[in-house]
Amino acid sequence: MKKLFVIVLALLMIGAVCACEKAPAPAPTGDMGETAAPAMSTIDKIKDAGKLVAGVKDSVVPFGFVDEKKRELVGFDVDVCRYIAKKLKVKIEFKAVTSANRIQMLTDGEVDILAATMTHKMERDEVIDFSITYFMDGQKLLVAKDSTIESVADLAGKKVGSVKGSTSEKNVKEAQPKCEVISFEGYPEAFLALKQGKVEAVTTDSVILVGLKGSDENPDDWKIVGEFFSSEPYGLGVPENDSEWRDFVNFTLMEMWVEGDWQKIYNKWLGPDTNYYMPLSWQIELWP
Amino acid sequence: MKRKIHDLKVEASIFIERHRFIVFPLVLILIGLFCYFVLYELLIVKVFNIEIKYELNYAVYNTYYIKATKLTYIQLYLSGVYTTIKISLISIVIAMSLGTLLAVFRLSRVKILDIFAKAYIEFMRNTPLLIQIFFWYYGTDLLIPDFFKKWLYGQTSTEFAYGVIALSIYTSAFIAEEIRAGIQSIPKEQMEASRAQGLSFLQAMRLVILPQAFRIVIPPLISQSLNLTKNSSLVMAIGVVELMAASRFLYEGTYRVFEALTVTTVIYLSLSLLISFSINQYNRYFLKYIRY
Repeated sequence: MKKLFVIVLALLMIGAVCACEKAPAPAPTGDMGETAAPAMSTIDKIKDAGKLVAGVKDSVVPFGFVDEKKRELVGFDVDVCRYIAKKLKVKIEFKAVTSANRIQMLTDGEVDILAATMTHKMERDEVIDFSITYFMDGQKLLVAKDSTIESVADLAGKKVGSVKGSTSEKNVKEAQPKCEVISFEGYPEAFLALKQGKVEAVTTDSVILVGLKGSDENPDDWKIVGEFFSSEPYGLGVPENDSEWRDFVNFTLMEMWVEGDWQKIYNKWLGPDTNYYMPLSWQIELWP
Repeated sequence: MKRKIHDLKVEASIFIERHRFIVFPLVLILIGLFCYFVLYELLIVKVFNIEIKYELNYAVYNTYYIKATKLTYIQLYLSGVYTTIKISLISIVIAMSLGTLLAVFRLSRVKILDIFAKAYIEFMRNTPLLIQIFFWYYGTDLLIPDFFKKWLYGQTSTEFAYGVIALSIYTSAFIAEEIRAGIQSIPKEQMEASRAQGLSFLQAMRLVILPQAFRIVIPPLISQSLNLTKNSSLVMAIGVVELMAASRFLYEGTYRVFEALTVTTVIYLSLSLLISFSINQYNRYFLKYIRY
């Protein structure tokens, strides 16, 4: 009891002594907590390290996934990042991210750029910055071949699968409030639930659906139905308040389109002779 | 003089013990305030010049999660709390019954029951709960006959049911071991005396041994119930919207991680305290007549 008393008294005295000290100039404390501009700009950081660290998905066909035969990360997002790294003349390193942790990894500085099928949303833009839209997509439904579901309206009272942390689960509930949305950890699990009949449909961006359908053993057992019920402009994520890096990424994307490299990458992954054919009906925004 | 101080101390202890539900929270709050105002403000801010700039904003709870149905985050949260309570209560009841049954199997003289119970307990205790949840949800698909499947998978609460099954089977293995240890701590003479009186093995268990053993085994059972409540957060892997999943929706939609997780922690804490408190009260009121 006495010891406790003495310890408490000592702490109080230290506190009193500190209170009498004058606080030093407020400038250092002022900058410390805000989301201020990074101390070193991202381009300098990349050039110093000699490599661009890119966050990509590792189980989303055909944007970022592991090729079975070559056992390496390949995909549309992967090739876009390779192009940017080539422009910077540095090496590239990939880090696997998920929908749930991708923004955290960018704000923590673990990756320099995010190419992870990330929809450019206003609430996300408050935390990080986005490049111009590098891919335009929308949400659709993946159902079994013999299913009676034709559009979002048919989902009333049915179970729909989606993935945690994505925009899809919220959008489908907005479009059809009467459906039951079951959120799984990843797209393969949602697809497995669809195969076993535990959900009637899987909803997410149509390109991811095309990838799921195409990577199945019997792609013809599934069909993609419905109109786009949300628009999903994909943007590359970059750290907040770094105009130099963001401008560089934007200029590179536009250059990629003008030179024809974007179309080459598109045809490589979503072209007519792949499993995941999606006709291109959109144009990137080009500045003169 | 010393005797007076001693008497005062005794009086104070009695007072604190009698009003402990008020005194302990009050002391905790005072310690919290002390830590904040003295240690943090004076020491860390002034001396070390480190400040945490974060504006707490609990009003995000009132923003809309789904604009179409005017569902706010608070309602989502409350439905998550409700689901967690439902899962925990149902699973505790099933787990305790299964556990008692398994303990009796372990102690019976019929060898097959003993071996079956032992295999079950070892398997369920030594595999992670998440794997068991996935096994019950995805793995049993092949074993269910087709005509049953369509009805089963069409229900809105299949994920809930699978979660309850996995949780209760997992926890029942732990509970069985606790109960077996409790039963074996009852002197063997009790069993001999009851058999001598003419009761069968099962009657002896039910009427003599188990009531005594239960009183001993209540504290470990409380800890298993708390484990079950906390493990119930794992069922969000198969899509059940319970408390952890609801808080994840909140902080993914609004990026207010701190607010979401503090409220979730407080809710889990109160749930656990409530469960242990009620089981202790049960112990006090219903089992106080069991004498040795």
